[in-house]
Amino acid sequence: MNDSAKTLNVHGRFEGRATTGWVRYVVMVQKEVLELARSYKLLWVPLVFILLGMMQPVSTYYMPVILERAGSLPEGTVIDIPMPQGAEVLAQTLQQFGTLGVLVLVLAFMGTVSGERMSGVAAIIMVKPISPLAYIGSKWTAMLLLTWGSLTAGYLGSWYYTGLLIGEVPLIDVCRSLFVYGLWLSMVMVIALLLSTWLRSPAAAAFATFGGALVLTLLAHLFPAFLGWTPGSLSGYAYQLAASSMEDSKMLGYAVASTLVGAGVCISLSAALLSKSSTDE
Amino acid sequence: MTTLLQVMGLSKSFGAVNAVNGIHFSITEGHCAALLGPNGAGKTTTIRMIAGLLRQTAGQLIFEGKEPGGKHRELIGYLPQTPSFYNWMTGLEFVVYAGRLSGLSSAAARKNALALVERVGLAGAAKRRIGSYSGGMKQRLGLAQALTHQPKLLILDEPVSALDPLGRREVLELLHELKQETTILFSTHVLHDAEELCDDVIIMRSGQVALQGPLEEIRRKHRKLTMELQIENDAASREWLSSYIHNVQQEIDSSNLSCLFEAAEQHQVGARFTVKDSDAARRHLVEALARHQVKVTKLELGHSSLEDLFMEVVST
Ligand SMILES: Nc1ncnc2c1ncn2[C@@H]1O[C@H](COP(=O)(O)OP(=O)(O)O)[C@@H](O)[C@H]1O
Ligand SMILES: [Mg+2]
Repeated sequence: MNDSAKTLNVHGRFEGRATTGWVRYVVMVQKEVLELARSYKLLWVPLVFILLGMMQPVSTYYMPVILERAGSLPEGTVIDIPMPQGAEVLAQTLQQFGTLGVLVLVLAFMGTVSGERMSGVAAIIMVKPISPLAYIGSKWTAMLLLTWGSLTAGYLGSWYYTGLLIGEVPLIDVCRSLFVYGLWLSMVMVIALLLSTWLRSPAAAAFATFGGALVLTLLAHLFPAFLGWTPGSLSGYAYQLAASSMEDSKMLGYAVASTLVGAGVCISLSAALLSKSSTDE
Repeated sequence: MTTLLQVMGLSKSFGAVNAVNGIHFSITEGHCAALLGPNGAGKTTTIRMIAGLLRQTAGQLIFEGKEPGGKHRELIGYLPQTPSFYNWMTGLEFVVYAGRLSGLSSAAARKNALALVERVGLAGAAKRRIGSYSGGMKQRLGLAQALTHQPKLLILDEPVSALDPLGRREVLELLHELKQETTILFSTHVLHDAEELCDDVIIMRSGQVALQGPLEEIRRKHRKLTMELQIENDAASREWLSSYIHNVQQEIDSSNLSCLFEAAEQHQVGARFTVKDSDAARRHLVEALARHQVKVTKLELGHSSLEDLFMEVVST
């Protein structure tokens, strides 16, 4: 006992060498990533994206065969489905990511803040000399890592099989649309983060995130002239970019800018909400 | 002796509930202070405000003469009432993580964590997932993570209340050691724990400080003389006791200044009196016993315990 007490006295003191806030943020990001790994989210979320990405070209290619085998058609029917362009398949892949992919991502992160607050571990963490912004920022960083990683893996998988089975698509178009679509998913994730900070129930946060994303997209698609500059129009631009049929790159620029600003606002709002609500109840 | 923390007029209300209602106290550097009170007295609320986890409705906290800024969290080590951790981490990983969040470098945090888990008696379980820990182990892990940066003020919310006798013993012994190194504020609803560990007590009741000061001083100041009487369980004796106590009670209620008694309470076959002058009161009682030929089995003079005082303070 005495020995360990001495060690503690020697090594426990700061000795004026306390690490910076930045280092503590990095430590928190490492913890988030470790948690993703231990909960296998680091494995199955990318797997879902890769599967979705591969399924799209593969199922498109084999669709005629599948229909034939299904046998529900009268004898002698000639199946003649025009094979779509590679770009179309990639756009369809992005649509898959927008539904099932978003579902998986939101489910993976719906309790990222509220879970820690409900369990009580947040009380232990938040009394440490760290800022709410660093805490929220570390959560978002981990979300972005998983989102971009999964999206890239799934989309490149889709691109590879599309090129193999259906038709080549220039890599530059793929990268452009990947970037724009990644921004859209990042926006959805920041909304999920904000709602997970705000709402106690993870399920409510998940539902509200889906609702919010849907409303953003619908509004932007219904009123493209008025709302073409909003984050909700990003997914549409990504489909166009995949098909290299981008008409209005000025609007795209605005949409990217508004998304970055929106994400910044959501992050600050989450941090403010966290520091307020964690000291008010 | 310097004042480490000064609490001035601290209040917190949750809607209509006044959980803490304008309390004042201060904590001296190097001392161990107990926040003592029954459940619902406002101990947790007070501690959460000191830890910076709850914003007060009114009042001030002064750490080392300054109002809390970003810096004061580096002074504090905090263990919540029912600590939770990341169950997927090992105990050692969590203490390392806590150290790193407190500003230790990677190597220092690791070295420090190894020493701490050893110290709190978790060395054998340090590499196990926290999810498999028992309540006592979690409490000790909570202590280890609160100590990572050698806090000047260690704040513990009911650190032993949820433990079995053995776990309680272990944690109390650990606190005994820590007491030599740092200032401790801990809450409890068990007087005995406070008596065993602390220099100062702050007794809380329904959001207010009912009594505070150095334990010795309180013990001395509020010590009262008592007389404990036991009689045989026969009808005559019982009858006599009832009427005697009735008379004493009447005298007390009439606030007669020459009354020898301060309080009287009857048990089944006995009574307990708090008295002003033990000689006169004893004479009074013994004469009455002799006159009515009461079958006494025991008559004992003594002092009221801190327990009596505590019960009196928190129940009135
Ligand atoms: N978040 C809260 N909302 C409403 N009332 C609360 C809250 N926290 C505590 N209280 C009330 O404040 C009072 C004091 O509670 P607490 O500080 O937990 O007491 P103790 O720790 O001494 O048992 C209780 O009556 C409790 O019901
Ligand atoms: Mg409590």
